[in-house]
Amino acid sequence: MGSSTYIAEEELAHLQKLSGEYQPEVTGPLVGERQSSSAITTEYANADPVYRTKTAALPSKYSHYRTCRGDGHCGWRAIAFTYYEALLRLGDKNRFLEEETRLRSLHNLLNTIGFQEHLYEDFADECFELLRKTAASVPAADESAAASLLVSFNDEALSMAIITYFKLLTSAWIQTHANDFQPFLLDQDIREYCATQIEPSICEIDHVGMSALAEVLVKPAGFALEVLYLDRSPGEEINTYHFDPLGHDGLPIPNPPMLRLLYRPGHYDILYKMEDIHIPQAAPIHVALAGYADEFVPVGRGMSDVMTLIPGMYPTGLGQNWPAVSYDYQPTAIPQPQMAAVPTYAPVPVSTTQDYVSHVNPTIPVESPIGMSINSPMTIERGGPFRPSMYELEPGFHSGQSHSLPFQTSIFRNSHYNTAHFLNPDFQPEEWTPDSEYVTSNRSRNKSSSQ
Amino acid sequence: MAASRKRILKEYGECMNDTPSGMKINFDEQNITEWEILMDGPDQSLYAGGHFKLRLTFPTEYPFKPPVVSFKTKIYHPNVSNDDKGSMCLGMLRPEAWKPPNKVISVLHLIQTLLIEPNPDDSIEPTIANEYKDNRKEFEKTAKDWVKRYAK
Repeated sequence: MGSSTYIAEEELAHLQKLSGEYQPEVTGPLVGERQSSSAITTEYANADPVYRTKTAALPSKYSHYRTCRGDGHCGWRAIAFTYYEALLRLGDKNRFLEEETRLRSLHNLLNTIGFQEHLYEDFADECFELLRKTAASVPAADESAAASLLVSFNDEALSMAIITYFKLLTSAWIQTHANDFQPFLLDQDIREYCATQIEPSICEIDHVGMSALAEVLVKPAGFALEVLYLDRSPGEEINTYHFDPLGHDGLPIPNPPMLRLLYRPGHYDILYKMEDIHIPQAAPIHVALAGYADEFVPVGRGMSDVMTLIPGMYPTGLGQNWPAVSYDYQPTAIPQPQMAAVPTYAPVPVSTTQDYVSHVNPTIPVESPIGMSINSPMTIERGGPFRPSMYELEPGFHSGQSHSLPFQTSIFRNSHYNTAHFLNPDFQPEEWTPDSEYVTSNRSRNKSSSQ
Repeated sequence: MAASRKRILKEYGECMNDTPSGMKINFDEQNITEWEILMDGPDQSLYAGGHFKLRLTFPTEYPFKPPVVSFKTKIYHPNVSNDDKGSMCLGMLRPEAWKPPNKVISVLHLIQTLLIEPNPDDSIEPTIANEYKDNRKEFEKTAKDWVKRYAK
């Protein structure tokens, strides 16, 4: 061979090396914030018609999505993240412990396959530690738990350790269930397949890997996995693939928590339906209730207790309906009349209670006790824990007074239900009335003396 | 990082317990991510009698990225780059083939095996690889010559 061939080969080798070393620049967080899925539709607005049709319907079914960084681990990471997130959503600390125990029991498989414990235990420990940490954040049950999970998954070392652990479990599962997977691998040796397509640190999940991961991780946890394949295949709907968990009786578990992924050739993101998202319950109704309960403000958790203390109202048979009644945020129905401007409010005490009663009626079958207890406002001696309200004591209480004071919580003040808000149809700027302030303090002194 | 540090120490412990013959690891506690390895050319190889200095570097992403092996002593070998880096990148050491549970001791064994039997089909120096395949005598002569010149 002449030297020119060598040079050409060296050049080729050099180019090969360059292309081997080339890594497309990947940006963005490992797991992104949850955002509205209409962004996907927008992204494809100028794409070819197949994509356009398929993505147009997406936001109506799947309200939100989360991006994963396309660094070659996105499929693995997306499943790992949604797995933790689904556990968090269940909100049961014991489930985390159960999962840890279950995963530990799978270490037999790892040992059978020949992984050495001192090599995988680091990865497993990271996984368990995050399970425990997330479990500990469950009682908080607010956005901070989800946020801290997101932060953990954006820690490269931690999220890689968890991915590696899940990869090893997947590999062990495939190799110990060779009969189930061999048919999909054609003539490829199953061991070699796992060594080249599952275990290497840089290799994306394929369908076989995903089925195995679903078997070993997702389904036994009682979760279902749903993958939407957004590709150029003909049709108007995005193709969907389901991995459904089976109960102990071998039948599908009804309505399992769902992990949802969106697959676009070479990349996975996370999808959510509206029902998957735990939206923190809005509280504005408390403001309205506070209006006629005077200084006794039933807030937050204590609410159900307070309701059961009303004479004639028992939680029996009503289950946990009380919080629903008190939290249920119906922006159109209730707050409006109470927030009305000064002149319309003045004659109102009775109508306020009416509003309240009519709001309660539809949800609670035993409405008569409420009606009775509230609709007989002039009887002061009632027994029970309620102090008499200001309406009962002083029928004309509101007439000369700026009513805005009792309603000024920050939530209400900044909402358009506040008449002082420029978006309120009955916009009425706030005015300072020194006289009424004087009257208020005077009244309250009167009241306390009368008690 | 804490995780990779723990793993490196673990790997070091294992290498100490079972050091491949003819190897010595210089471990610096201040900088555990760079190992200096002194290796004698294996007896049954062309490189017998030579003493080679290698460096094993652990990236910050270790164990999720492979350690980097480089020969500090010049060596005439199809799988070691013939430049001042002396890098070696094949088999399990390739980033796309690296598995986090791989052990450092297997990396050391791989290096020894390659000195005994080069792998011209997975070479980093195609010129040397071709010579190895087509003109073994010439290759052996140069290799032994380099041992005398650089690795004594």
